Amino acid sequence: MVLELQKPRPIWQIMFSTHHTDVGLLYVITSIAFFFMGGALALGIRAELFLPGAQIITDSMTFNRMFTVHGTTLIFLFLLPFASAVGNYFVPIMIRYKDMAYPKLNAIAFWMIPPGGALIWLGFADFSWYATPPYSAIRAPGPAADMWIFGLKILGVSSVLGAINFIVTILKCKHPDLPLSKVPLLAWSFLTSSMIVLVAIPSFAAALVMLLTDRLGVTGFFDPAKGGDPIAYQHLFWFTFHPEVYVLVIPAIGMMYEIIPRFSRKPIFSHSSGVFAFVVLSIVSFSSWAHHMYATGMSFTEKTVFMIGTLAAVPASGMHVFNFVATMWGARIKFATPMMWSVGGIALFFSAGAGGVANAAMPFDFITHDSYWVVGHFHLFVMGTIAFGSIGFLYYMFPYITGRMYNETAGKIHFIMSFVGTVMVFFTQHVLGLYGMPRRVFDYQPYPEYIIMNQIASVGAMIIGASMLLWLINMIYSAGKGKEANMDDPWGLGGKYYFPYQAKNPHH
Amino acid sequence: MSGHSNWPEWIYVGVVVSLLVYVGAEAWNVERLVEHTPAEAEVIKVVGQQWFWTFEHADGTKEVGELHLKKGQPYKFEITAKDVNHAFNIHDYVILQDAVVGRINTAWFVPDKAGEYPIQCREYCGLLHYNMRGTLIVEE
Amino acid sequence: MDKTIALMSILTILIVLPTIQLVFAATDAHEYINRKVEIWNLFFKMMTIAFTVGAVVSGTLIWLVWRFRESHPNAKPTKYEGTEW
Repeated sequence: MVLELQKPRPIWQIMFSTHHTDVGLLYVITSIAFFFMGGALALGIRAELFLPGAQIITDSMTFNRMFTVHGTTLIFLFLLPFASAVGNYFVPIMIRYKDMAYPKLNAIAFWMIPPGGALIWLGFADFSWYATPPYSAIRAPGPAADMWIFGLKILGVSSVLGAINFIVTILKCKHPDLPLSKVPLLAWSFLTSSMIVLVAIPSFAAALVMLLTDRLGVTGFFDPAKGGDPIAYQHLFWFTFHPEVYVLVIPAIGMMYEIIPRFSRKPIFSHSSGVFAFVVLSIVSFSSWAHHMYATGMSFTEKTVFMIGTLAAVPASGMHVFNFVATMWGARIKFATPMMWSVGGIALFFSAGAGGVANAAMPFDFITHDSYWVVGHFHLFVMGTIAFGSIGFLYYMFPYITGRMYNETAGKIHFIMSFVGTVMVFFTQHVLGLYGMPRRVFDYQPYPEYIIMNQIASVGAMIIGASMLLWLINMIYSAGKGKEANMDDPWGLGGKYYFPYQAKNPHH
Repeated sequence: MSGHSNWPEWIYVGVVVSLLVYVGAEAWNVERLVEHTPAEAEVIKVVGQQWFWTFEHADGTKEVGELHLKKGQPYKFEITAKDVNHAFNIHDYVILQDAVVGRINTAWFVPDKAGEYPIQCREYCGLLHYNMRGTLIVEE
Repeated sequence: MDKTIALMSILTILIVLPTIQLVFAATDAHEYINRKVEIWNLFFKMMTIAFTVGAVVSGTLIWLVWRFRESHPNAKPTKYEGTEW
């Protein structure tokens, strides 16, 4: 990247730039801003659930709007743009090309995110992030719901454009001397996840238009009163959003593939098995969407098919874990902040996966479906694995972006507090689910088990919140006043880095 | 990548796959058992709407918010919804089925202990979703 | 190839089909199964597996982190250090 803070440029030059590192910087800043906005909502939710009854938030509608926007923001406005940020910085360098294949398209894809985010935040819809009809079609209050639909539509187009750009860049613009099999795993992760986006997004894009026309009252695709089928929406939705889980997790694993060998001072154990596992994951991600719908009255046969499809994703995920463990074996590991986040992320990735295997077993769904178990389970993925990988990678990119070093001690405290907090919140939520607490509730019965578990979770959330504040201070302070980084080897590891700051920016 | 042997990885993948096969087979077997509804089970019609449950016994008596059943007798719920989707849940008996408008989903069970058990809604259904509760009363 | 197919067909007829029949025949028994007992038993079986595997995985990770840290007395440079890998 381009040392923005050392060689100051007018802000409009970065904003209207189409260069991949400038667009990458815009993605980083936007996604981190939304991360803190979505995280603030999470703290509000946890504070309200600290005790049964209404305390901070006075009515359930506000609460419902908060968890809806919390989920939508962190998935579409933090995790996806952050992955794009990393891809923008590193993919062109890793495949040895001067920029993305379509620089203007790249900038357009980014500039669709702020309007999409604005629609979601100004609307503040209440129907939860998956907007199930008939509620979303006939009862959800507008214009919030309609604004959410338009916002998601825009974000969907943005991620399709980004995916096209990554695929073309990697397949068509890579250096002729670089065979595809030698392309680094981080770039491979963007290739596979972009392929998933291209195949998966259209079904949800269609569902959104159908939902909008249903809301306008001109059609009845999902409205049973007009002969529609609400379950059809769930199929269209999950056909997009189960693969989308892999769209989020594959780049995070790719980021760990960059960090772990670097800090182990050792190449990855098996490049080919990493590629193999990415490709297998991107295919089997399409075989499991209806495991979200066991409770909608599916037949035994359908449930069996989707259980097998779900379990099929496990060996490939396990191969990644094996690859990381084998890389660290016999290494000389420097536990700088990025490495700590990656190793923590692997541990939580396993926990999330084990919970996922249990979820896939069909009778178990009768206990856990739409309970807090599910909340704990998927947060272990999105927070414990994907956000951990992403935050670690931002620490890794920090010296390249700013030319300065972050505060290492503060980074380590940030990791330890976040790890402890994550375990406290999300493991406890699994147990809450086993006690039968439903998700998306503003209030709960005052059973002693519910109260104590919710309190542990709320305290954990506050610990995460405090650590993120420390992170923000560390980032802002170090970007301006931090120690100057040794740009050839910021962590003293030896070996070959991908130097984003060496990318040639026409403005320099 | 180059040269070294991958056999530990394939053994590892083999172990993972065999564990998954075991989990899948067990789950398949239990699901088969719990889905096999006995023919003599008494039908209870369950209707969910914003934000309460209505029950109709086989003899036509209706109850709202409360459901009285007898211990040791098999019951089959026929669950549906009137306005938006809900999910009928008696956590203590591990009964959970979505109540979907225009569809009838079934679940069966035999109450084995007298007492009162909470019934709740597990699918987000709007303003008072959190308070869409009922009580199952099992009598001797 | 032909022999394999023949062998597989015989095995299917002799072993697999009777097993399937046996499994389905069991459902006609006239004692009610206890739904919550069956499901929670499955849960405890799965948790036994999950926690055993989890102990192995997290134990391995903790050992790796402890043994191969830079500051461990036996830490030695990897053979790739100082090379362009």
